[in-house]
Amino acid sequence: MLLDTLNYSSVEGSRNDKDIVIYSLSTCGFCKRAMTYLKDKGFSYRYIHLDQTPLETKSEVKRLLKASFNEDVAFPFAVIDKESYLVGFIEEDWKRTLGL
Amino acid sequence: MPEKTIADTAKFASMVAAKQGWIVNPDSDFTTSIEEGLTSNWNSMGYYLCPCRDSDGTREADKDLICPCKYSWQDIDEFGHCYCALYLSTSFASSGRAPGGIKDRRYAK
Repeated sequence: MLLDTLNYSSVEGSRNDKDIVIYSLSTCGFCKRAMTYLKDKGFSYRYIHLDQTPLETKSEVKRLLKASFNEDVAFPFAVIDKESYLVGFIEEDWKRTLGL
Repeated sequence: MPEKTIADTAKFASMVAAKQGWIVNPDSDFTTSIEEGLTSNWNSMGYYLCPCRDSDGTREADKDLICPCKYSWQDIDEFGHCYCALYLSTSFASSGRAPGGIKDRRYAK
């Protein structure tokens, strides 16, 4: 599946109990804030800036995410353990979903 | 089209804010990152696409997302800041609160 073969960057933290993947934009302030939040909380995560991928790849990633989660893709879009998701950086939502 | 600098973009944001009666987010680190994103979008696409939104590939498709985006007025009225938090209402700014993420009104159901 395309989502498994993308060229993600990895950030290592002391917490590896969740598989966290962030779909972001390189230009987005709240994407940066979300990733800083994860880093500050010690989570390892992977991310990809979709605006730096070819248009066809980006469109297909967005289509797959929407099909999987029945949610329009806005940024940041986080997938947790391949089964839950967070859209946008609303700190209370992230706290709850990450069990903090 | 000549390239924009971050200073050009900061001036643009200040002019928009002044015209609309808004405040540019006083969190300078955050605002600089937003202005960098806007500048990058101008220089790659030729228009100020909101840096927190993804391009649909053409200016026509993105027209509701060009800064200040079509949703800014409603978001500032309701939440005190626009989606990317570049612009704040005067009352939100004077409250001292930090903007948080909000739902993208473009996809409001």
